[in-house]
Amino acid sequence: MPRFDEYTGEHLIPPYRILDLTDRRAAFCGRLLADYGADVVKVEPPSGDPSRTLGPYPGDVPDAEQSLDFYFYNTNKRSITLDLETETGRGLFRRLAADADVIIESYDRHYLADRGIGYDDLRGDNPGLVLASVTPFGSTGEWADYAGDDLVVMAASGYMQITGEPDEPPVRQGNEHSHYPGAQYAAVGILAALYYRDFADGGVGQHIDVSSQEALITYYTDAHPALLWRKLGQNVTRVGTNSTLVIPLGAYPCQDGWIAAGVITPREWDALAEWIHEVTGNDEVLNEAYRGGNQDRAEHIDIITALFLEFAENFTVQELFHEGQRRNLVFLPVNEVADLLADPQLAESGFWYDIEHEDASIGTIKYPLGIFHSEEVSARRRPAPALGADNMAVYQGELGMTADELATLRGDGII
Amino acid sequence: MTSANTEAPAALAGIRVVEFGPYVALPLTGRILGSLGAEVIKVETNKVLDEMSFIPAWSRGAGQPEYQRGKRRITLDVRTEAGRDLMLEMVRISDVFMTNFRRNVLDRWGIDFPEIRKQRPDAIIMWQTGLGGHGPYYTYKSFGILVQHLSGVSLMTGLPDEPPGVVNTSYSDYHTGVFQPAGIIAALMRRNLTGKTATLESSIFKSGVATGGPALLDYQVNGRGPQRQGNRDAWAVPHNVYACAGEDRYIAIAVSDDEQWARLRRAMGDPEWASAAEYETRLGRRRNEDALDAGIAEWTRQHESLALMETLQAAGVPAGMVSQGQDLNANAHLKSREFYQDTQYWEAQRGVKATEWTEGESVSWSIPAKMSATPIPFSKYSNIGEDNAYVFGQLLGMPDDEIERLESEGVIY
Repeated sequence: MPRFDEYTGEHLIPPYRILDLTDRRAAFCGRLLADYGADVVKVEPPSGDPSRTLGPYPGDVPDAEQSLDFYFYNTNKRSITLDLETETGRGLFRRLAADADVIIESYDRHYLADRGIGYDDLRGDNPGLVLASVTPFGSTGEWADYAGDDLVVMAASGYMQITGEPDEPPVRQGNEHSHYPGAQYAAVGILAALYYRDFADGGVGQHIDVSSQEALITYYTDAHPALLWRKLGQNVTRVGTNSTLVIPLGAYPCQDGWIAAGVITPREWDALAEWIHEVTGNDEVLNEAYRGGNQDRAEHIDIITALFLEFAENFTVQELFHEGQRRNLVFLPVNEVADLLADPQLAESGFWYDIEHEDASIGTIKYPLGIFHSEEVSARRRPAPALGADNMAVYQGELGMTADELATLRGDGII
Repeated sequence: MTSANTEAPAALAGIRVVEFGPYVALPLTGRILGSLGAEVIKVETNKVLDEMSFIPAWSRGAGQPEYQRGKRRITLDVRTEAGRDLMLEMVRISDVFMTNFRRNVLDRWGIDFPEIRKQRPDAIIMWQTGLGGHGPYYTYKSFGILVQHLSGVSLMTGLPDEPPGVVNTSYSDYHTGVFQPAGIIAALMRRNLTGKTATLESSIFKSGVATGGPALLDYQVNGRGPQRQGNRDAWAVPHNVYACAGEDRYIAIAVSDDEQWARLRRAMGDPEWASAAEYETRLGRRRNEDALDAGIAEWTRQHESLALMETLQAAGVPAGMVSQGQDLNANAHLKSREFYQDTQYWEAQRGVKATEWTEGESVSWSIPAKMSATPIPFSKYSNIGEDNAYVFGQLLGMPDDEIERLESEGVIY
């Protein structure tokens, strides 16, 4: 593996060459691999990845080079432009694919094959190629041609069914949560396929098919609607801010925000009741009927919630958080983004990485790159690339094209 | 696409992992590695059973068949001297040691990371915690479902001025569980190429924040908090869930351009209201989004959600029913992909040895990735201690009478 002659292990992932043809629904896969060391080259149409035209932008001024959405999903990648709708563009893509370890894509399932650049077309020249497809419903089955974005995947997986208030419609989780599970499973599959190819006796690449719907279903296994229906003929419900099963559990208003709390064991209840009594002097909280495990309090949810609210209004979020934890209770702040950026635990665990943007209106900002903290390896810290920033390096430096040839391609709108 | 050659070895065949710790995220990591072909040895003891076994989720058939499948499950009390020695013997023949116990607890048992390294200098160590392995929250407690508040996501969900928007699950556990195999496989590659090992620390808190999205940048650049917009979207319009026929039934419709809107209009039968000029453009639809949503809902509530999804998708409109349990069970698409599989499980009983638990039937998912060259089997699901003979006898070469002696002494228990 000559590509790795220079690799000394500074980053966790060896510098595998990965061509990233995903849109924002699966872009996190390449980002995860790039953050930890892979050489991920985003292949964009000459007009740029569609997410470049999505905000938010600095000062809300649309600028394809300043989309914060694009920035988030594409750190540490490089960028080349290439028009796959032209035969010349596809010819160049075949040459790039012949020397790539991995392609990640999220097109409709026939898109690449219809253009003669699907997995079966490319592996002839590159038997070691690993091609991962991340699509809303996977590459096979009755719904394989169905289209969807985050909202559709969240609905079809059933994840939305349990998100929101019980007497209101289902709501989507606001971080566009369905973008992550499929991308994460694809990253695991890609690394496993490369391990098999290079470090076991495999020698060959393969195709990986990931359904975002399926991946998201696995992310709420504790609710497990298929099983609940099969066993009891019931459905999991939306519970809103508070749980009706574990009491108190949920988020409660206090002086300057919301506190999340969860009390399950008899010992935890006794500790909480004592604390509430100290603060409010209300003897009702010591009622023997409320003691015991969480199910014992279920019929008293209204009075217990009222007692808790009367208590919580005496404190700030941070006071409840730290004093609750000191009393061995699961109290956690309901954080805003500002709180996360200031959080001492995240700061100390090497989670945020400062990335410097050339544009002074952005400057240096923090990115969440440190999923794995390690003394031995570090994440990379390059911002998302400008459109086509690496055209010269890739087309001239690697494919050996001349400046004139590059200019011609540019003139023809291929790159 | 070629289907997996079941004769081929699995991708991670030859890798051995020691998994030591309860709950969701860490066992899920072991399940994924095991499904990819690693030999995962899960170390447990009947003396202190995983609390997750006792959570009354759907008669207890939920979770354990997903998290514990495809492992060699052994019983070993590492708090005994003989137990600790056996643990270290297993570490010597393993590539990976992963745990979610705290360092002071591991140290008390004589299996803290320096000792692991001493036994196996090139071991990859994955250490997972809830809030962090050191730092100000080191001693703090958390659990899954509340991490969505801690990680900032509940205040991205729902609408402004509403309480935090909550999903009724501990999804961050799953994020962590799926991040970790990626880190472990990469660390094995790095070890093979450079001879260097690595200790990786992950936390459920960090996993939750890492998937917070562009809102994390927007605050820093523009000084504003997350834009809570319910089911609406910064770009696409209409983009919402709409009530369908029946109790608590909904469909999501996501129209991202004018062409899709024209298709939706035709699918609705070109009602007069929808032909209004203001709806023809995205900006026009945005300005009149409330009326637009009301008009669409008027139509959707006359239809059943699955049929409507199929109609709209056939017409080229991105749409998805909000699935419930009966839908997922009966779904022809998921069936043809063999996503759900029947499985056995064991009904956990406190104070009863796991081998005495009653066996029942459950339904479980297969790994949501299909690989064309290497199999990802829906592996065997062993009960606690079921693989003692294999691990202690075959792998460690212990004679039967010694295994029996340690069983009777409560070491292998």
